[in-house]
Amino acid sequence: MEGIVLALFVCLVLALVTKYLSIPPIPFYIIGGVLLGQSGLSLVTSSELSHFFSQMGLIFLLFFMGLELKLERVAANRSAVLTSGVIDLNINMLIGFIAAYMFGFTLVESLVIASAFYISSTAMAITSLIENRKLMLREAETVIWLMMFEDLVLIIFLAIISAGDQNPFIFLLKIAGVLAFLYAIAHYGKEFLISILDRSDELPILFTFGAVLTTASFSMYIGVPETMMVIALGAALATTDPDAFEQHARPFKDVFLVVFFVFFGITMNLSAGVDFFMIGAISLLAIASKLISGILTGIFIHGSPLSGIEIWGNTIARGEFSIALAALFGSPAAATIIAAMVVVTSIIGAFTSKYSVRMRRWIAAPSGHRGRHRRGH
Amino acid sequence: MALRSVNLPGVGTKYEFSTDKGDTIALFFTKTGTIQMYTLQGGCHTPSAAEMTPMEARRLGNILTGAIIEAESESVEIAFSAIADLRITIHTYTIKKNIAGKTIEDLQIRTKTGVTVIAVSRKDRNIINPPPSFVFEEGDAVVVIGETDQLKKFEQDVMVD
Repeated sequence: MEGIVLALFVCLVLALVTKYLSIPPIPFYIIGGVLLGQSGLSLVTSSELSHFFSQMGLIFLLFFMGLELKLERVAANRSAVLTSGVIDLNINMLIGFIAAYMFGFTLVESLVIASAFYISSTAMAITSLIENRKLMLREAETVIWLMMFEDLVLIIFLAIISAGDQNPFIFLLKIAGVLAFLYAIAHYGKEFLISILDRSDELPILFTFGAVLTTASFSMYIGVPETMMVIALGAALATTDPDAFEQHARPFKDVFLVVFFVFFGITMNLSAGVDFFMIGAISLLAIASKLISGILTGIFIHGSPLSGIEIWGNTIARGEFSIALAALFGSPAAATIIAAMVVVTSIIGAFTSKYSVRMRRWIAAPSGHRGRHRRGH
Repeated sequence: MALRSVNLPGVGTKYEFSTDKGDTIALFFTKTGTIQMYTLQGGCHTPSAAEMTPMEARRLGNILTGAIIEAESESVEIAFSAIADLRITIHTYTIKKNIAGKTIEDLQIRTKTGVTVIAVSRKDRNIINPPPSFVFEEGDAVVVIGETDQLKKFEQDVMVD
């Protein structure tokens, strides 16, 4: 218990500092955790309670993602979302997989690393678009839809990797059953759900918490991935009143997710040694492969490689979903490399997203005219 | 001028329209509760942006719909389209030293100018429909209702006594 309190206190200080400097807090929670944990000062060890809290953090992160999924909107925007999404998926998955495999990871480990390598941080991308006042840029919408596509890929990935050696037919049948059940509740119980959410007592928040936990434990009980089902719960409930659910789930997500990140750092096992060459190589590749996919997306969607620079600058940061994949499926070695990649890319991403407009102008201006172009607007 | 509105997942709602002169204005109501306004001059590539709190955005809205807002006082003009030519202005003023300590009756506000004091805000307290015996204090914010001409008279005869 004291361990969790100490870890949370350290996170509170880190949150204050990072918010003040407007840089992403996630890498610092992880570094803070590593310093507190078994690979650092050994001040905090994980316990059953911290494990439970961390799991809550992961589940609420995914529930939130489900609430934000707007499938009908993706369908309406299909061609643009698909083009950018497929370019992003193929290039980054492929480069990530080849790199991990060449560094001697097993096939499954490489697949996990490749997915973590592929999926950018939605939270950091959107925060950067808002904080750096880039929402009006035409690339902003592309970035937002790209994040949504990545989330969809994550769901499919969760299903595939969780299936394990179950009979795929029965597995799919179970998933379809739970999905139908969730959507039926959201559809037929819509009025009842909204009447609960409208109340001002403890009922809405209790209901939100209970629904998420019940779905997670019921999924575990019947052997379908709880991660995927929690996302599905979010997507189903988003058809009723997503804003209300977000409002009630946010406190749980905010607190438990911080516990999740810091305990991810605390339980990280660095005893096998840290290969700085490998970390450097994977992180550099992670930045370069998003540059390639960004430029291609820029050319295909906006007809300009310069737009790609903007997309690249905002999607470099890997974050919460990469860590989630590492926590769920990564071996200690894979988890270490993913965590290191998240730390490096999110810190570099914070700078590229801040200065992308300037970089773009710098690249666009022929060297002789640079001085004149600097005061563009 | 076509107004386009999009709901962007994770961000919030976006409203965008182009003016006849070819400039573009975009507004974002973000989930963090702030409002961002972007303007892009026609032919330019870099928009400029301003971030506002909901309160500031409402103020901007008031200015854009035609109400005058000065540094210390603001006014709202209401025009009733169904009643011909009826235009009522509500204006706020801050009481200065020169009339502090006097009552509404002393100043003969209504007889001399025709305007009516409808509310006074003192520190955190609001007094609606103050009686004629109400004593002003320095720093009170008063809300006055009347016609534009009457308000002008009020400014000249009472406020600058």
